Amino acid sequence: MDELELLKKDWKKQEGGFPKLSYKEIYSMILKKSSSIVRWIFIISIIEFLLWASLDILVRLNGMYAKVEQPGMDTFSLIASVISYSILIYFITRFYLNYKKIEATDSAKVLMENIIKTRRTVKQYIWVNIGFFTIAMIVTMGYILFFTEEFKNQPVGNHPPIWIVLVGTLILIAVFVAGIALFYRLIYGILTRRLKKNYKELERLEI
Amino acid sequence: MDKELEHSFVTNLEQNQNIVHKVCRIYTNDQDSHNDLFQEITIQLWKAYPKFRGDAKFSTWMYRVALNTAITLYRKSKRSIKTTDLDTINFRLKVEEYDDEIEQQLKLMYAAVKQLNDIEKALIFLYLEDKSYKEIADTMGISEVNARVKMNRIKTKLQKILNP
Repeated sequence: MDELELLKKDWKKQEGGFPKLSYKEIYSMILKKSSSIVRWIFIISIIEFLLWASLDILVRLNGMYAKVEQPGMDTFSLIASVISYSILIYFITRFYLNYKKIEATDSAKVLMENIIKTRRTVKQYIWVNIGFFTIAMIVTMGYILFFTEEFKNQPVGNHPPIWIVLVGTLILIAVFVAGIALFYRLIYGILTRRLKKNYKELERLEI
Repeated sequence: MDKELEHSFVTNLEQNQNIVHKVCRIYTNDQDSHNDLFQEITIQLWKAYPKFRGDAKFSTWMYRVALNTAITLYRKSKRSIKTTDLDTINFRLKVEEYDDEIEQQLKLMYAAVKQLNDIEKALIFLYLEDKSYKEIADTMGISEVNARVKMNRIKTKLQKILNP
């Protein structure tokens, strides 16, 4: 392609035409903070971890557990807490290790892969959490409905039929999950759209 | 941070800053975005510098970090406006050296390059910098064969843009 050769020649001639930044100007640049996508993903991920971890504490402080906790639920809530904190620690460790792997000196493809991996870890954490919350909600609901004296001993006319309570709970959970999913799509969709597009473009080459 | 390290880094970058300018020129359309990207590349180079061992030339090492920043790490600021007029002004530096026909052809070529996607721009950039296919493949993380295939596709694509 002749035009490309022409372009190449011209490309090499342009050297002199660039602004020349001084030592001082470059020095002041290295003191500034990066606004890279990795930094944003890191900040948002930490906020996510904090948010989900604090949710548990908030619920405790609110006394909501006390309301739900019935005799016999103690063991369940203890196991649930242990599991949820183990999950948190596991994911934070994995996230940190993945984050450490991100290096601008890798090849473009490896760099993109590492960023996507880091991002995926947080996403998995969110979904595990949602699943966990959903199960906990269903178990608690089931327990209250079928095993607590209060509920069982009430005359039938005094409370709504079980199926209404069940459907209501399920709808609530569905709305909750859909809301969170939408929220993440918005945040990360904007943040990683270009990254994903470029990664696909590189992958496409491999075929 | 180590003062000596800072000094050697800034001196190295000051001498090789043209590479960064060229990457910015391929990926941005106006002076503000150019400066913005230059800033981010400098930060990324500085962050990676402690691991630079000097087994490669500083300039060679820069290509990777600069391109990675432009393609992946950098978040485009909203300022970047897409105007072809601006591209050509930005790109054409020594207008007086060419006769009109070549001048016109070059203008079209630069405008065509601007229409490529991020990955294609990276490949064309390395090609214009006279890098071997092996180096192009290493930088991008693809095989050498793929780098060749892709370059051919880009050439065809450019041709199509020029002669629709």
